[in-house]
Amino acid sequence: MSPDTASALLLSVRVAVLATLLNALVGVPLAYVLARRQFRGRGLVDLLTTLPLVLPPTVTGYYLIVLLGRRGWLGGPIYQTTGWSVAFTWYAAVVAATVMALPLLVRTAKAAFESVDRDLERAAYTLGRSELRTALEVSLPLARNGILAGLVLAFARALGEFGATLMLAGNIPGKTATVPLAIYTAVQTGEDTTALLLVGVLTVLSCLVIVAANRLGARAT
Amino acid sequence: MSDRLEVALALRVPGFHLDVAWSAGGGVAVLFGPSGAGKTLTLQCLAGLITPTAGRIVVDGRVFFDNATGVNLPAQARRVGYVFQGYALFPHLTVADNVGFGLRARPRAERIRRVASVVEQLGLGGLERRYPRELSGGQRQRVALGRALAIEPALLLLDEPLSALDAPLRRALRDELRALLGEVGTAAVVVTHDFTEAYRLGDRIVVYDAGRVVQSAPRSELLWQPASEAVARIMGIPNVLHGTVIKATPDRIQLRWRGQILEAVNSPSRSYLPPPEAPIAFFIRPEYVRLVRKDRGPADPHHHMNLMSGLVVADEDFGTTWLLRIRLDAPGPPAQNDWDLEVEVPHLVYEILEIERDRRWEFSIHRGSIHVLPA
Repeated sequence: MSPDTASALLLSVRVAVLATLLNALVGVPLAYVLARRQFRGRGLVDLLTTLPLVLPPTVTGYYLIVLLGRRGWLGGPIYQTTGWSVAFTWYAAVVAATVMALPLLVRTAKAAFESVDRDLERAAYTLGRSELRTALEVSLPLARNGILAGLVLAFARALGEFGATLMLAGNIPGKTATVPLAIYTAVQTGEDTTALLLVGVLTVLSCLVIVAANRLGARAT
Repeated sequence: MSDRLEVALALRVPGFHLDVAWSAGGGVAVLFGPSGAGKTLTLQCLAGLITPTAGRIVVDGRVFFDNATGVNLPAQARRVGYVFQGYALFPHLTVADNVGFGLRARPRAERIRRVASVVEQLGLGGLERRYPRELSGGQRQRVALGRALAIEPALLLLDEPLSALDAPLRRALRDELRALLGEVGTAAVVVTHDFTEAYRLGDRIVVYDAGRVVQSAPRSELLWQPASEAVARIMGIPNVLHGTVIKATPDRIQLRWRGQILEAVNSPSRSYLPPPEAPIAFFIRPEYVRLVRKDRGPADPHHHMNLMSGLVVADEDFGTTWLLRIRLDAPGPPAQNDWDLEVEVPHLVYEILEIERDRRWEFSIHRGSIHVLPA
């Protein structure tokens, strides 16, 4: 195994794990709010979080450049004050994977929260629990399996992310080239053994993910 | 005794208007009516789970809600014990943790003591470590009650507390629940669409229909003096009939119906005096119609009030009683489908009088058993 192949594998795992953690941190509360709260702009938030699921990944990547690139809405001011930009760093791969995986988690977790009997939450309120404590003590444990299934799917999506990553992070061997990008490079340059090895690893991981998600889904009643 | 519970609510939700006002003294108030009448919505307003558009809720002098002064206690601060339809037990918690769920703010030792005493009171001993899915329907209902009672509620709300149980258990638990509610002494509101349940559990019955209160009365008054034909229909009273007034006095009402002249008692307290020839609704309880025995000589109009004759056109066996459908010997179409009156007789009477064979009878109804329904 070449150093670049090993680094692609390590990078992919690191990116997918971090993206999954960020998904849990951002996506689970978001899913709860979308499932349980009525507020202005709810439809818009729902639309924005679902969009990356439907858009071509390169389009999502393009928007991320517009937002975070050196001349982006957010990235521009950051670059001007600090001289640093997230674009073409491995953090960019994390951002791209997070955004691309978010719809899968949010949709699964939202459905899981919605399937929790509202009377259970109401009962907790009448027994003195605040909405936050109720969400943590009642809704979250009861939606747990659905949320875990969503996280497994998000991990798989993050691991396989290609288009948006290429747009925002580039394909720099040893720096931002994750496994899917390394496979592309390997095929382009005729390194068939490397391509086969990486394809094999991703296929096995994906199979494991499907089994895990199905088991969690079956228990989520 | 002053009212412990004062409720006035207006709530507008898409497709439904709730507009109710009622009050209750001590004991149990039952909200009775068809599904979709707004009973559960009322409970949710009482518990603070829904904020009404306008109104005022006072429980034992504590103002829960008053849109005039802007008071709206959150559900968490009302100390209301709510037994949900289907019980809403936390499936991931044991019986003991369910019962103790509302006691988290109390010191640990007190919490344990309180849970133990509620478990004991409700006969749940030995089940503390079980999960709700491992309990029978009756046990679940008790855990839900225990969880609500553990917080020593200022008000107890029960939404169809017996509807999830099968019939035999239902009857046993209904009487058990009545005893328990009396023992606890907390003001309680029970929602049901079953009149027997309403009558067994309630001291006062508030009749709901389509988002309004059509009558609020002590249970015996409701049973014998429904305020209107609508109330009688919601209660499922058979033999709701329509006649014409001949003469009304504060004590008696004489009316014409199916070619018969009937005499009914009026209630002086409600001063209902319809003019002659006015249409009038009334009902006759099937179990209060008497069959005139043929072996005791001809019927005596002085002894047998409101005497009439007719034919048994159909009968149905209800086990301990028989229901007879009678068509009167009078010209014109019958009052209800194919018959005029439903009459209930005990099984023994049906056998002794050989009603199966002998279909033509004379009937008599005491004037006190003909109940006029004010328009």
